[in-house]
Amino acid sequence: MTTITLNGKSITVTSDPDTPLLWVLRDELGLKGAKYGCGIAQCGACTVHVGGQPVRSCSVQIGDLDGQSVTTIESFDGKHPVQQAWVAAQVPQCGFCQPGQIMSAAALLNENKAPSDDDIDAAMAGNICRCGTYPRIRAAIKAAAKA
Amino acid sequence: MNAPSLDRRAFLATAGAFTLSFTVADARAQQTGAPSAPWAAYLSVGQDGKVLLLSPTTEMGQGTHTAHAAIIADEIGVPLSWVSVETALPSDPFRRNGAMGSGGSAGVRAWYAALRQVGANARASLIAAVAGKTGAPVGEVTLVDGRFMRAGQALPVTLGEAAALAAGQPPVQGVLRDPATFKYVGKATPRVDIPAKVRGEPIFSQDFTRPGMVYACAVLAPVYGGAADGFDDSATLAVKGVQQVVAIPGGAAVVATSQWAAMKGAAALKVRWKATPIDGLTSGAISAAMLAGLDKDAEAIVGKAEGDTAAALAGAAKVFEADYEVPYLCHAPMEPWSITVEPTADGGLEIWGPFQTQDRNRSTAAKTAGIDPSKVTLHTLMLGGGYGRRLGDDGTPGAVLVALAVKKPVKFFWRREDEIGQGWYRPAQVARLRAGIDASGKVVALHVRTAGPSMRHTFSPTGLPKGEIDGSSVQTLTDTRYRTGAYRVDWVRVDQAVPMAPWRAVGATQNGYFMEAFVDELARSLRKDPVALRRELLAHDPRALKVIDAAAKAGDWGKPLAAGRARGFAYVESYGSLCAQVVEVSLKDGAVTIHKATCVLDCAQVVTPDGARNQIEGGMIQGLSSGLFEGIEIAGGQATNRNFDGYRIMRINEAPHAVTTVFIENSEIIGGVGEPPVPPATPALVNALFALTGKPIRKLPIAATLAS
Ligand code: FES
Ligand code: FES
Repeated sequence: MTTITLNGKSITVTSDPDTPLLWVLRDELGLKGAKYGCGIAQCGACTVHVGGQPVRSCSVQIGDLDGQSVTTIESFDGKHPVQQAWVAAQVPQCGFCQPGQIMSAAALLNENKAPSDDDIDAAMAGNICRCGTYPRIRAAIKAAAKA
Repeated sequence: MNAPSLDRRAFLATAGAFTLSFTVADARAQQTGAPSAPWAAYLSVGQDGKVLLLSPTTEMGQGTHTAHAAIIADEIGVPLSWVSVETALPSDPFRRNGAMGSGGSAGVRAWYAALRQVGANARASLIAAVAGKTGAPVGEVTLVDGRFMRAGQALPVTLGEAAALAAGQPPVQGVLRDPATFKYVGKATPRVDIPAKVRGEPIFSQDFTRPGMVYACAVLAPVYGGAADGFDDSATLAVKGVQQVVAIPGGAAVVATSQWAAMKGAAALKVRWKATPIDGLTSGAISAAMLAGLDKDAEAIVGKAEGDTAAALAGAAKVFEADYEVPYLCHAPMEPWSITVEPTADGGLEIWGPFQTQDRNRSTAAKTAGIDPSKVTLHTLMLGGGYGRRLGDDGTPGAVLVALAVKKPVKFFWRREDEIGQGWYRPAQVARLRAGIDASGKVVALHVRTAGPSMRHTFSPTGLPKGEIDGSSVQTLTDTRYRTGAYRVDWVRVDQAVPMAPWRAVGATQNGYFMEAFVDELARSLRKDPVALRRELLAHDPRALKVIDAAAKAGDWGKPLAAGRARGFAYVESYGSLCAQVVEVSLKDGAVTIHKATCVLDCAQVVTPDGARNQIEGGMIQGLSSGLFEGIEIAGGQATNRNFDGYRIMRINEAPHAVTTVFIENSEIIGGVGEPPVPPATPALVNALFALTGKPIRKLPIAATLAS
């Protein structure tokens, strides 16, 4: 049993402590926004925030998160500035990587209100997009920073 | 418009909808003189005025559902937001050449005219109903923005009411609208699937659940075509949540109450694999066999022969020759394979998954279960990437066997390591190009020989008979617009036990690289500008010249460059579209920076410009990624780079910051958009590096060649 604050609400989960956060979210809690893409912290499809920092949820165990605050894409209601910028720039293609991309971008913009191209590279290089939406991701982050 | 409704029957029930049916004769029926088949239910209009379009195509990010919705909205005359789209169940109205599927960049071009007619017929039926009800002459009623109008006045009938009146009436043949009146087609129409995608809604196969569903993780033979000789599941069954282990073709599946428990159980499974004839196969051996194939004149199958190429080469003042090689490429969609199979009470199956070939998967499922395909209902979910990988059916039999064994709905899934390690790849291939030059420096002969495995042989259920040519092995070579005097294209088949399938733009990817890298090397040997040489080879073809010139202009060809930079050019035609690209690069400590990428696409007509632009950006990046980094490495008969740590895909810091796209529209036949931007990207990059370093890149991926 682990207690975390999930999207602002305190909850207790029963998954074994060695269960990756991704599978607690998807299997136990039914939150499917974070995706399984690689399972080894290489693709970023599973990105969520822990304590405001972007984390690859496939590679952190729930037992290590007791008392921590976890934020997932489900807490953004579509009105988050990053989501709005994503719609305005028509970023997604298949969309599978995009919840992870959006969570990484939101974390970046929480810390850095005017990211440079290098800042964007550093913050987003952990998120693969096989559809190749990178130019739009970059443009949308810049637009969201100005919003 | 949000999450696609997964159950059409539920939609129909709750929306009080009914189906308008239209009789448009199906071409085959007309030919045989049989009575016209009803061109069935593409559309239903609810009493709330909501329009549901059943699309013949799979939405995998290429935007065809938006294009189809735009066509329907414009032809009927309703706001786009009233139209929602789902992929249809496989049935005749949605088939092309006998099967339903999405590939060949055909999603818009093959359905554009047909869907316009469907929309026009719907409008005609609705207007006839409104005319009947209001007494207005049919010719005076119009449908604009979802409202019926007569002489500038709105008539007091809603779309939903009109639909109810039209139901059961004989179908009316509609007249197409003037495209100049379109509000969505050809305009900056936002994609209908994007809002759900940015909210992270559970729209993908991986996310789909059924009541009482269990999870089954595949454990597949690491060697291509391998099989299990038995397994020890004691450690697996001890994992909390694991229920049983089921033997499947090529291995086993671990069934559990959660996806994570199934993965944990799979990691604990000890499988004894049977020995295979390819247990020692390596990339080096495959490469050597293909290169040896280049010398096997007697085995070469001719794809095209114009003039006496051998004589022209023998008589040439100079012969320029080069060999090239490409590796197997993995599609690597971001969503690893998964499929949900539920046995139904009547002995059938209901299936949900990411399919590019609905009929192929339905028959495979039926065959595995020993039932008639009519007892299989196959739903297509949103694809987390396809690029050709979901044209296959190799992940379906295992799922059906597990569902039949556990008699419950099952989500059967592969791990990333199998998605890459058991991919159906873009073939490895080699090529030898020999150009004959006359004394004046003119190209008078070209012989292109490719050698490698037949993609079609492993992808097509019937294989490729010996002696026949695999069109993909010579794709874009046999129909090039270049005029090089005597011209011969042939292919030597060198089969391997590695499975293959169409990979976005298929044979155009390797053959585009072979031809375009060679043209640049040839230009250098002739001391000609690479664009000037292409213009020479295309001098007879105004359409192609226009594309070349537009790309040279948009890509700043010939303009001064910053120190340490160079530009590369490439031109490849595929899927009915002509595409030229310019890439500007620099190189530091062996690492390539792509500063600018420019693409000109002549696809004759653009239905959704921004969606098409997104396809071009992504297609170029996929082409750049594959050329720069990608290649399956094989040792011991298996892929050794099975996850993204080894199979490297371009990341944002490696991608061009901006891609400039230019469309050329004309009255030619509408061409594809999803695939044509891919093939020129690799050779444009190769040619830029060649211009920069003076060293040709004759083997892909580029990063490996630069490091060697
Ligand atoms: S699934 Fe976690 S980084 Fe890929
Ligand atoms: S949108 Fe398809 S992987 Fe990023």
